[in-house]
Amino acid sequence: MNIRLLGIVKRFGSTVAVDHATVEVGDGELFTLLGPSGCGKTTLLRLIAGFYSPPDEGEIHFGDRRVEALPPYQRNIGMVFQNYALWPHMTVRGNITYGLRLRKLTADEIERRLADGLRQVNLVGLDDRYPGQLSGGQQQRVALARALVLNPDILLLDEPLSNLDAKIRVHVRGEIRKLQKELGITTIYVTHDQEEALSLSDRVAVMRDGKILQVAPPKTLYERPVNRFVADFVGTNNFISGVCRERTAERTLVETPLGRLAGRPADTVEVGARCVLAVRPENLALGGDGENVVEGRVSLAAYLGNTLRYDVETAAGLVLKVDVRDPWNHDPLPAGHAVRLTCPASVALTLPDE
Amino acid sequence: MTPAGARTEVVARRGVHAARLAPALGYALIWLFLIVFLVYPLGRIFYDALTDESGRFTAAHFVAFVHDAFYLRSLANSLLLGLATVACTSVLGFAVAFLLVRYEFAGRNLFSYLTLIPIISPPLVGVLGFTFILGRAGTVNVLLMDWLDLVKPINFVYGIHGVLLVETLHLFPMIALNVVDALGKIDPSLEEAAESVGARGWRKLRTITLPLTTPGYVAGALLVFIWTFSDFATPLVLGVHDLLASQAYLNIVQFVDRRLFRMGIVISALMVVLALVFLLAARHYVAIKDYSSLSYSRISRRKLGPLGQAGAIGFLSAVMLLSFIPYLGVALASVGRGWSLTPFPVQYTLHSFERVIVETPKYIVNSLLYSGLAVAICILVGVPIAWLLGRTRVPGRDALDALNTLILAIPGTAIGIAYIRAFHVEVPGFDRALTSFWIIIPIVLAVRRLPYTVRGTYASLLLVHRSMEEAAASVGAPGLRAFRDITLPLIWRGVLVGSLFSFMTSLQEASAVLFLSLGGWETITVGIFSFYIAGSASEAAALGVILIVVASVSLIVINRIAGTRMGGMFG
Repeated sequence: MNIRLLGIVKRFGSTVAVDHATVEVGDGELFTLLGPSGCGKTTLLRLIAGFYSPPDEGEIHFGDRRVEALPPYQRNIGMVFQNYALWPHMTVRGNITYGLRLRKLTADEIERRLADGLRQVNLVGLDDRYPGQLSGGQQQRVALARALVLNPDILLLDEPLSNLDAKIRVHVRGEIRKLQKELGITTIYVTHDQEEALSLSDRVAVMRDGKILQVAPPKTLYERPVNRFVADFVGTNNFISGVCRERTAERTLVETPLGRLAGRPADTVEVGARCVLAVRPENLALGGDGENVVEGRVSLAAYLGNTLRYDVETAAGLVLKVDVRDPWNHDPLPAGHAVRLTCPASVALTLPDE
Repeated sequence: MTPAGARTEVVARRGVHAARLAPALGYALIWLFLIVFLVYPLGRIFYDALTDESGRFTAAHFVAFVHDAFYLRSLANSLLLGLATVACTSVLGFAVAFLLVRYEFAGRNLFSYLTLIPIISPPLVGVLGFTFILGRAGTVNVLLMDWLDLVKPINFVYGIHGVLLVETLHLFPMIALNVVDALGKIDPSLEEAAESVGARGWRKLRTITLPLTTPGYVAGALLVFIWTFSDFATPLVLGVHDLLASQAYLNIVQFVDRRLFRMGIVISALMVVLALVFLLAARHYVAIKDYSSLSYSRISRRKLGPLGQAGAIGFLSAVMLLSFIPYLGVALASVGRGWSLTPFPVQYTLHSFERVIVETPKYIVNSLLYSGLAVAICILVGVPIAWLLGRTRVPGRDALDALNTLILAIPGTAIGIAYIRAFHVEVPGFDRALTSFWIIIPIVLAVRRLPYTVRGTYASLLLVHRSMEEAAASVGAPGLRAFRDITLPLIWRGVLVGSLFSFMTSLQEASAVLFLSLGGWETITVGIFSFYIAGSASEAAALGVILIVVASVSLIVINRIAGTRMGGMFG
């Protein structure tokens, strides 16, 4: 079932938590709302769930149904809460079947759906445990099963992995994605973790101050962010500000404190306007030749296992981060060592200054 | 906010759904209850106090009060008594609380239970017990006169010092429990941080520990003050008349002199104002409605050396022994016969119990019936209020919160008088006034004890994360259904504890009920008071014992359910 949000506004007192959010989520899509805390992503999810119904402005459509004025229990959604919100006085069975019992299904049907649900989330045999007797990962899966047994039209996940250990998180992330694909259920996923967002989403919406800044598939989001905030929030970036001197179909030329640098063409930046060049650390090379050459000295080397990240201080005082992948075959350079950094214009994004 | 206004606004805000009309109606009913049985009566005494016989505004009554040297002395005495009681209970309460929370010594657990004992008996019973043991012809004086050949008995209790003694020993657990509660919630790392920057011992106590306990302490101290300030039964039994509460009572119960009657109303209005001033002052000083964080941290207790142990045990034993005097006195008097000029009764009999249980069971029956009904009303009104406070932002929520705190501060004497004035008009549809229906007693009890139910419920509601209810809504449970299936099973302990506390304190209520009770409606406390005034001390004592037993049972049940964490109750 597809979801359409049209001009959603939600205010708390004088603060605008969600500011004219308009977005369409396709049938069966896993759509992520990504942003720093306080950006309005959870509020938007709760508006979709119906916990703030109706929004101050705007429409919410589930398929052909207009739902913004409906309470949550009439929207046929499944929701997984950040703290799981398992009812402590009910067993796993009680938690999962509560919604089914409300729907007055037959005992056989309830048993069948419970068994299906437990199998889906790999919890067979734990039905008589209480939530307090389960590990965090198990609780999380009970919460997921509770949402799924109702065959909801839409699955809503509010930072479902944030209370799990790092290793389990990656594992459960994969399970959620697999299950979601199998069921083909339209899913909205809220997270502040950009890596999580990139790894499991079909598309991601980046939010700030209640506004949706960019909606794109992970690859586009990472490689073609539309502005400095998105470029900074998703992944790591070096920003070099300057003034656009030349703009052609192939490239832009930007006057920066590090000299005249070439970047990707951009129609959002006028000649003569202030702009920034954004270059990811993995796209800067040590040594070699390229359209853009910057001289500097190593100020710090951080060994991260799969990469080695240098902080290189340039003559203008600007520090650039440079990644060396596969550091097995690389001897770290000492601090103060002079280096030359190069990159082609094709990896330097020209973004409007903010 | 008027109930109608609140209701229409609620409805307008949420959009008109038939399903939401019922909650709005319920909200309106809660406000109706509070306005009719709390706001209106209080308003009524102020109206009475500020108008003359023909209903014109006048400040003459207050002027008369200010020009009456006797009333002024009563006012000064009442304030002094209240402050002195706060001071004494604070010293005792802090000492007991610190010993119990911070130190380990033999019998610590036993003592922490014993601390609760003084609040089992209402002051009215306590004062009887004291007179039997410490009175002019009490055990101690008889013994002393025997041994030391004293000609005149020592006056231990008659007079304002006796009131101070009785109130202090009855009320210090309120301070102790609140401080124990506050100390239990101090994160040990706060004190460790203080030590890490060099604050140790007395300095740490003064700059870190005490400030962290102030919110709980101030709330307890306020209650101690108001309680002492508005108690008239204890002073009257001890022959103290020059206190505001005593004067209010004496002026009201004589129905002869209209001017004096009016003065009683003026005094009670004044008491409400003073209580409000103290409430606001306390509230200004600390956020009194801080219903408290509910996480208790693990406390490491310091083990006391042999000398310290002896000191701690000696001190606590002395306090407890003093607190036991009234129990001993009441117990002896209830079964004693011919107890005069001997240290102990010479004959023992259950005759008094037979009289108050078999011959006239009305005291017990009435008390249980009225308190039971009062608790039912408390739950019916209080649980929704707690839910509104904890879960919603309905218009008027803050007012609701303020009223709930206000009730704690309003003297029972003033409420009693307010009800007499407010409800002596005929009820529409009947040719009698509400004051002539016995239901007024459960109502006044319910209003007086509402905050305990609200607080107990609210505190446990805070422990149930909102997402529990939202999760229920997300799987298809509408509001009331989610409340029944999810919220209620998770908070019933808190509701029960709060309700039992409301029940126990309803049984003990004397001041408001003494004003409103008519023939046939006598409760245990009314019985104690009238038996004692009439000189039948044994019957009064027997009723006292019964009251203590019922209260003990309630307290044991509360303790079983809630552990010893009752401090929040008094906040």
